Amino acid sequence: MALLEIRNLTKYFGGLAAINGVDMNINESEILGLIGPNGAGKSTLFNMVNGTDRPSSGKITFKGHDITGLPTHRIAKMGIGRTFQATTLFMNETVLENVLTGFHLRYKTELWKAFLHTPACRHEDRTCRLQAGEILEFMGLQSLKNEIARNLPHGHQRILGICLALATRPSLLLLDEPATGMHPEEMNNLVRLIKKLREGGITIVVVEHHMQAVMNLCDRLVVLNFGKKIAEGVPEEIRKNKEVIEAYLGTD
Amino acid sequence: MVLLLKRSISNNMPVKKLVPLLSALVTAVILPLIFQNPYYIQIGIMIGVNAILAMGLVMLLSTGLVTLGSAAYWAVGAYASTLLVMKMGLNFWLALLVSGFIAGIIGLGVGAVIIRLSKVAFTFVTIIIGIIITLVVGRVDFFGGWGGIVSIPKPDPIPLPFSITIDFTKRISYYYLMLFLLLLTILVSFALYKSRIGRTWKAIKLNLQLAETLGINSYLYALLAFVISAVFAGLAGSFYAHTFKTIEPETFGFWRSIYIQVYAILGGVDFYISGPIVGSIILTVLPELFRMAKEIEPIITAIILLIIVIFLPGGLLSLPEVIRNSRGLGAKENLLPALFRRNKISRSKN
Repeated sequence: MALLEIRNLTKYFGGLAAINGVDMNINESEILGLIGPNGAGKSTLFNMVNGTDRPSSGKITFKGHDITGLPTHRIAKMGIGRTFQATTLFMNETVLENVLTGFHLRYKTELWKAFLHTPACRHEDRTCRLQAGEILEFMGLQSLKNEIARNLPHGHQRILGICLALATRPSLLLLDEPATGMHPEEMNNLVRLIKKLREGGITIVVVEHHMQAVMNLCDRLVVLNFGKKIAEGVPEEIRKNKEVIEAYLGTD
Repeated sequence: MVLLLKRSISNNMPVKKLVPLLSALVTAVILPLIFQNPYYIQIGIMIGVNAILAMGLVMLLSTGLVTLGSAAYWAVGAYASTLLVMKMGLNFWLALLVSGFIAGIIGLGVGAVIIRLSKVAFTFVTIIIGIIITLVVGRVDFFGGWGGIVSIPKPDPIPLPFSITIDFTKRISYYYLMLFLLLLTILVSFALYKSRIGRTWKAIKLNLQLAETLGINSYLYALLAFVISAVFAGLAGSFYAHTFKTIEPETFGFWRSIYIQVYAILGGVDFYISGPIVGSIILTVLPELFRMAKEIEPIITAIILLIIVIFLPGGLLSLPEVIRNSRGLGAKENLLPALFRRNKISRSKN
């Protein structure tokens, strides 16, 4: 059974189908690339998987549970994390505070204990701080943990976005154009990090325009165009697929 | 809670912060002993009531929700307490607790429905609910009608050991009761903001979509803030009714809600506890200073407020920060006077 199954998913915005009858599976521990020209519906697909948008029809199944149309926070709790196309962080907070906010789901003590600041709760708080430090260490942001997010260089902000998603302990991670605005060195680092995350057992779906990064990173690619799936397969196949080349370059 | 206070005093809070805090408390305790004029003490009491109300409003604001109907829960507390004591013969102290509870329950019911609305609709509906409550207590005879309720009994005396009793015959006893309620509000707020609850509220305010993606049920957390701020207002209402002995619907109208909002904005909405206190001190004392010119008082107050909002959008308490920022900036930017620049801390660009 696939980790995430998408069946006949359709989303209309007004009369326009942003996603039109898409079927796809995401297997455990794979890195799946979701590519396609601008406006192909990639972010809309993410929004539906993560509960931001409600599908017009179709079904999304995660770990065997139907999650179609559930609220975002419930889906996050079930183990789907995501980053956003536009850098989305708590900009005025420190790097560490950002990650700690992402730890929301990890806190197990009751709220009234948090209110009374009981010893158990304070202990949990310390544990979470340590774990947040570990995530930052893993992603290479440890030295910046007391910086305000707004003041980080763009590349680091993108990485911090991933740290936030990781803080929720996702089993499926949706990365929306993680390499946007990164220079080649940062991009190589990102590819290395994403591969390390997969080794840690996280399944990853990545939307990315930078073809070299996609080809290096992904086990499998799904190509969308005008809301429809036009191809699916390993990077080598996709590279040669006529329909894909036409979608990207246009037909004459 | 005491544990928290002790711990934050010993670990987290630097002495630099503790000194002004303690001196403010000592001043608040001593001041009425020096100025025993009942008129001054009355102003002091009103400052406290306003500060509690503004703190509740700021708590809701810390989740990103703007209410223009906070006086409604103040009214609920005042009327509940009055009726419980006058019609059912309840002890004031019990009525105080029960009216906080009733305000909380009503807040829960109202909040559960209206927090699901969009932010603009939410604000709009809070205004309507505020007006409805005024109309209900005004039109229904049971609540005393437009004339209000008069000669509300004073709080029951508190017996202390050695045959001393606090019997609320002097104005100053009310002042210290206010101070007690204010400290309670401050302590509860402080404990909330310092915990992960406060962090979660902030996350919802700064970026709702991101917060939800991180697994935060923003609806429940906003509802929590809504209910707590209703309880604060309810307690303040009960205290108000038995302190001023008279309540009428007009007191709790829409203008009152606007004023509560204004106390918070003047002090600075990012200063969750000190902001409402500073704001309500200034805006409670200021109108009294212009009492001679009662007709133009609101105009003067409004002009002062406009100046603050335009030139110091972070509120009065953001002034040190604004000055510090202006010093740190390059020569070119310094051509603009500090006050004319947008305040960074108040405008989050998330």
